[in-house]
Amino acid sequence: MITKSRLNRTQLIALLLPGLLLFAAFTVYPIIRLFWMSLCDMSFSSMLTQPFNGIENYKEVFQDQTFWTVFVNSIVYTLITVPGQMAIGLFTAILLNGIKRFSVTFRVINYLPVVTSWVIASLVFRYIFNTEGLLNYFLWKVVGITSSNIRWLDTRWGGISVAMILGIWKGIGWNMVIFLAALQQVPQDLYEASEIDGCGAWGKFVHVTLPGIKGTILFALIELTIGGFNVFTSIKMITGGKPAHQTDTLLTWMYYKAFSTGKFGYAAALSFVMAFSLGLLAIVQFRMMRNRDN
Amino acid sequence: MKSLNGAKIRGMILRYFLLALGTVIFTLPMIYMISTSLRPNGALYEYPPRFFPKWEALTLENYGYILNQSKFYVNFLNSAFVSLSTITLAAAVSSAMAFVLGKFKLKVNKLIFGFIILTMIIPGTTMIVPQFELATKLNLVNQLWGLIPFYVAWVIPFSTFMIKGFMENIPGEIMEASWIDGASVWTVYTRIALPLASPAIASVSIFNFLTAWEEYPWANTVINDTSKRTLPIAIAGFFGQHQFTQWGYVFAMSVLTLIPVVLIFILCQKFFVQGLTAGSVKG
Amino acid sequence: MRTRTKLLAALLACLMILTVGSAFAEGETVTINFWHHYSAQSAENETLMNVLIPAFEAENPGIKVNAVSHEWAELHDKVLVSAKSNALPDVARCDIAWLPEFQKMGILVALDEEMPDFAEVSGKLLDSAMSTSVIGGHNYALALNTNSKIVFYNKTMLEEAGVQVPTTMDEWVEAVKKLSGENANGQQVWGWNEPALAGWNICPFIWSFGGSLTNEDQTVATGYINGPATVKAVETFAELVKEGGITGFNSGDIPMTDGFGTGRYAMMLEGPWKSAELAGAYPDVAYGTAPIPAGEGGSISVLGGEDIAMFNSANKEAAWKFMQFMTSEFAETEMDKCGQIPVNKAALESETVKAADYAPFIEAIQTAKARPTVAAWSEMDNDLTVAMTAVVTGEKTAQEAMDELAAKWDELLK
Repeated sequence: MITKSRLNRTQLIALLLPGLLLFAAFTVYPIIRLFWMSLCDMSFSSMLTQPFNGIENYKEVFQDQTFWTVFVNSIVYTLITVPGQMAIGLFTAILLNGIKRFSVTFRVINYLPVVTSWVIASLVFRYIFNTEGLLNYFLWKVVGITSSNIRWLDTRWGGISVAMILGIWKGIGWNMVIFLAALQQVPQDLYEASEIDGCGAWGKFVHVTLPGIKGTILFALIELTIGGFNVFTSIKMITGGKPAHQTDTLLTWMYYKAFSTGKFGYAAALSFVMAFSLGLLAIVQFRMMRNRDN
Repeated sequence: MKSLNGAKIRGMILRYFLLALGTVIFTLPMIYMISTSLRPNGALYEYPPRFFPKWEALTLENYGYILNQSKFYVNFLNSAFVSLSTITLAAAVSSAMAFVLGKFKLKVNKLIFGFIILTMIIPGTTMIVPQFELATKLNLVNQLWGLIPFYVAWVIPFSTFMIKGFMENIPGEIMEASWIDGASVWTVYTRIALPLASPAIASVSIFNFLTAWEEYPWANTVINDTSKRTLPIAIAGFFGQHQFTQWGYVFAMSVLTLIPVVLIFILCQKFFVQGLTAGSVKG
Repeated sequence: MRTRTKLLAALLACLMILTVGSAFAEGETVTINFWHHYSAQSAENETLMNVLIPAFEAENPGIKVNAVSHEWAELHDKVLVSAKSNALPDVARCDIAWLPEFQKMGILVALDEEMPDFAEVSGKLLDSAMSTSVIGGHNYALALNTNSKIVFYNKTMLEEAGVQVPTTMDEWVEAVKKLSGENANGQQVWGWNEPALAGWNICPFIWSFGGSLTNEDQTVATGYINGPATVKAVETFAELVKEGGITGFNSGDIPMTDGFGTGRYAMMLEGPWKSAELAGAYPDVAYGTAPIPAGEGGSISVLGGEDIAMFNSANKEAAWKFMQFMTSEFAETEMDKCGQIPVNKAALESETVKAADYAPFIEAIQTAKARPTVAAWSEMDNDLTVAMTAVVTGEKTAQEAMDELAAKWDELLK
């Protein structure tokens, strides 16, 4: 590469520094601070002094019934939306990969939900899934598969389902684009070879396509898992956690604890548990990716 | 041979049919939003509910209200100011970092890159409590421009990661020649690396724009003044007020908010795909 | 491609300049930040922005008012959070139920200590309303408006169902049942709307049934919130919910005003602002009003209202001027036109106010009770919602839920 003598250190540092400083101050420092806050008694009543509190906050988190409710909600949300959007996205990509005309048109239209903002999309879904809304009318009075209005937004799993449908709807386009790119990199001759071996469409998919896009699948898995636990705006807009925090997720509950009740220590502990477990999960997934490369 | 062709044609028809069906389902919510924004507020609980409003009931009054009476322009300019500042700053600092990380072998590279990957793993909202405390200490609460450093810091990891990948692929010979001519690091960065990496920077900037344009939780937490609210807070605020919701206004404002985003997306569709796939295929 | 990029860049540059310009244009006068929860599209907000603030600014050159509208619950949270971040406004319009909490945090100014002319100013306001601002012997706010809730009923729906306006709780239960069912379109209709399950909504029933939330001293909840009368009220309410007689607190329900206006809810318990709202959104609906039906405890509604308070960080001189202005005869009379009942004695004597149709509300205020005036009320209120939700969904019996709630409240009241 470049010889040491040529290396102008000051200029290199000058290039690195602005970004590094911003990054360190507004992202790295808060992560460290988060950990410290989780060990302190921080609430509205202890605004000035923030005494060290050991693992009390963590105890409070794990002994809190609502924590386990919202924890399960987040897990279910992730377990359903991640495979859901990946499967539909991949399927759409396979369909698109085989056509020539209108390919770009389909791609652009199917990507539109991704660029729609969460606030807007959530409100649209809330409106559609209203008890008196269009969907219930359609299901009941037009198609006739239900015999009353379904209370989509009013129950724990109803509300979460609407958020999950929104999550899948909004995520398909992203999956479609990255899987389409991956599919185009699978060598064509592999398909031809498998055809000679007598593989049908399903056989080709299992033996050629899937192994060929394994890397992309793992990449999507990591990104989407993080995204799944990051769900916030849709829940806040669609149910607001109602009824009685039954539809809250980890982050909306954390936010409620911090900004409505002032339990900043509790919120920090909850956040840290979340960040830490996701970090571990991602490292495992990264390892898997690296093993594949070797 | 003939039967094979028949099967192929049938397969094609099936493909197009499924795609068309999927497209219809994908777009229904958006079409319903537009159609709702075009009917009078009183007709929202009409019976039976309609997907399309009656022709004679079509009205632009919701748009008229938003454009005349609400603070839409202020919110719009606020969002534009924050988003554009964010992408400009992010492009500058991330490309510089990516250039150094991708083209020089420094001892700190691994450490920096490790942190970058680490922060990409942690969901942004988990840090909202310490970030709020930080904003308080720095007096950035209820400051429109105070949003910018946070947004920039959030997008730095992803932006640097993407641009770095692109920088690494710039052939070494191009730079080698400049070094021999005695060019400085700065010159090589601005004259060679930046222009060559511009497609990557462009695609990253589009994503950053979207991030800042639609960001809700943070802006809602730190901004108080009505005149400093960005579009997402304004829309959400419309919705939360009181015991009746003017869905017509909400959706008219939503449509107006989406227009620039959709325009940018359609105009820059190529960059989008590039940006997305660069990250995923390389892994 | 090239030209398009350039065009785009030029466009972006223009926008930037525009926005930077607008973001940094600020004056040199004193600015009072005033937070309130008049909703953004309401008549109250129009009056505030177009009548009151211009009048105040004309009277007081050199003082500008920056009014910020928050949603009710959000205003409470924003104040708490802003206290932590030193970003409090100068003045806020606070629900009377919040004052003890804010006072305990030490963010409110004791007006009787700091303002030399306090006695003169407060003397112009109703004593009963001013009493909502007294905590530990000091005044922390000026009374701004008062209210209570009464029954609004849809005349047509009651006539068609052959139902008399209920005057007792037994009649009320029967009326709600009779009014619920289906309309001509086959749509479900409900006899009663209750937009939430918080104290503001449930207390009138508890009190009218003869129950209570805590003891007189507000130190113990056990034996009160889980006492037989309270449990009976909660049970009756939950039973009606299960039978499809009451709705409104679910995320998917038709909003209160829309549902009442379109004949889907026959009755509701609401405040004086509702008349203006209905006149604006659903002018055709024929409705009447009545006091809340009486039970064992009488006809007891909930006392509402707002005070205007000053925070520690305020520009005290300017803030005090603004508070005096907002509670003046002129401002209170203007706000009266939007359904805010004045507490200014002179305003109450004015023709506009006398002409207003407040009699039933004023009557309700005479017997209405206030929610517990304790610092922990917001948290208690949230617990109450959680407990009520468990009862109406059938997850717990009324007795179980209230017993648990009583234990929690005892802790909070200590």
